[in-house]
Amino acid sequence: MIEVNQLTKKFGRKKVLDGVTFTANKGEITCLIGINGVGKTTTLKAIMGLTPINKGSILIDGQKINKSMYEKVTFIPDAITMLPQMTIKQAMQFMRDFYKNWNQERATELLTFFKLDEKTRISELSKGNTAKINLLMGLAIDVDYILMDEPFSGIDIFSREQIAEVFTSHLIEDRGVIITTHEINDIEHLIDKVILLDNGIVLKEFNTEQMRQEEGKSVIDVMREVYQG
Amino acid sequence: MKSYIKLVNFEINRFIKIYVSLLVITLLSQFIGVIVTSSSFMNRAHEVMFEQNLSESGYLHKFGGIDFTDISSTLWFIGPIALCIVALIFYSFMIWYRDWFGKNTFAYRLLMLPTARISLYFSKASAILLFTFGLLAFQILILPLENTLFESLILENFLKTRMDVSVILQSNGILGIVIPPYFSDFLISYGIGMMFVFVLFTSILFERSFRLKGIVLGILYFIAAVLLFLSPLFAMANETVPDLYPEEIFALFLVLGILITGASIAIGNWLISKRVLV
Repeated sequence: MIEVNQLTKKFGRKKVLDGVTFTANKGEITCLIGINGVGKTTTLKAIMGLTPINKGSILIDGQKINKSMYEKVTFIPDAITMLPQMTIKQAMQFMRDFYKNWNQERATELLTFFKLDEKTRISELSKGNTAKINLLMGLAIDVDYILMDEPFSGIDIFSREQIAEVFTSHLIEDRGVIITTHEINDIEHLIDKVILLDNGIVLKEFNTEQMRQEEGKSVIDVMREVYQG
Repeated sequence: MKSYIKLVNFEINRFIKIYVSLLVITLLSQFIGVIVTSSSFMNRAHEVMFEQNLSESGYLHKFGGIDFTDISSTLWFIGPIALCIVALIFYSFMIWYRDWFGKNTFAYRLLMLPTARISLYFSKASAILLFTFGLLAFQILILPLENTLFESLILENFLKTRMDVSVILQSNGILGIVIPPYFSDFLISYGIGMMFVFVLFTSILFERSFRLKGIVLGILYFIAAVLLFLSPLFAMANETVPDLYPEEIFALFLVLGILITGASIAIGNWLISKRVLV
């Protein structure tokens, strides 16, 4: 389980996160929702130790983030994290060199699924294919948790469908996923838990299934209620 | 350790094309320099001898001969060395910043590798060190070849002196700094060089960690390190401070050098592990 407890982060005098608390379980998809600038990406970066925090604690299966945690949890940002001059094959080789738990079989499976050629250079990839390669680099590591930052941002409908398909596949099951997205329509039916953020605080946290059954509301209904009053 | 070696290998591969270009430029420029300078000297000598009706000995008596120091002080020779030094200094910055800037934020990937982040710091420093020593070794390797070529292009009577590599190094100021003729000088020069690479890396990490405030902190750290290292010189300029023996001065610089390097690595480790931003 990923436990974020009273997470506070300031940039200068501005509090971007103010006591954010939530948990994300293995085998569940947790979605962080909020408009731009509410601290979704900062939360993911803080979990990965990519930005120092001012207060609070983050535990992954009871442990603080350290070098060995990067074989337990991976982060898929919305920008490509590989060098532009690399081919997809070289990028995969780089990952294989450094990650003991790199799963080449799964990488090849994803490559075939996305219909990508491993000889293509990273710099030649379209926005949609960049998102797919980002996903590949994250999903081909045998980790327990995956953090995804806006995987659907700015990409075409067909790429979105392909990526959404990954969420229902065996590539995700049993892993804990924290995702930030604006494109809630594509994956609303897949989300287990929603955390609505605004101005650095958690406005509402709910289980989607429970919400549907008990109150008959979809994620978008709750979002309207919370954000539009 | 395995990850560190892989990272060093990776860093070297990333710069290898530019590095090989630097080696080729050095090789071509210096060999062309040897040929051009030697040929023009011989042509001029023959012209002057013809115009002034001088014999070889008459010419040599009046104008003197040539030796390798006349070659090694030309722009053909010093130019590529200066270019390599500037390129390596520039690359000491680029080795960090290229991972952060642009659309492809490779810094994410590097910082999320399942290895101690200080390995990144050491791998980048090691790459700079290896590039420097590689250039040095290359220069040492081609120097005797250039000398042989030079001696083959100049008629024996016109050679002031035959020089071996150690004499060339001792007689050329700039070359003598780049390739110190004595091992102790080599250790001092490159020890100081390496110390400043660590100080620079830590200054860069200050900037990468605290951004605008970090620029000020980085510059202050760099200045403080330079001043601290040079403090014995300032102290010696003060007449109230008793004179020190050369061994004592050396020991003082050595201690300060180790202290500054150690502090830079320790602060660098803290910054890259706990403070750096992506």
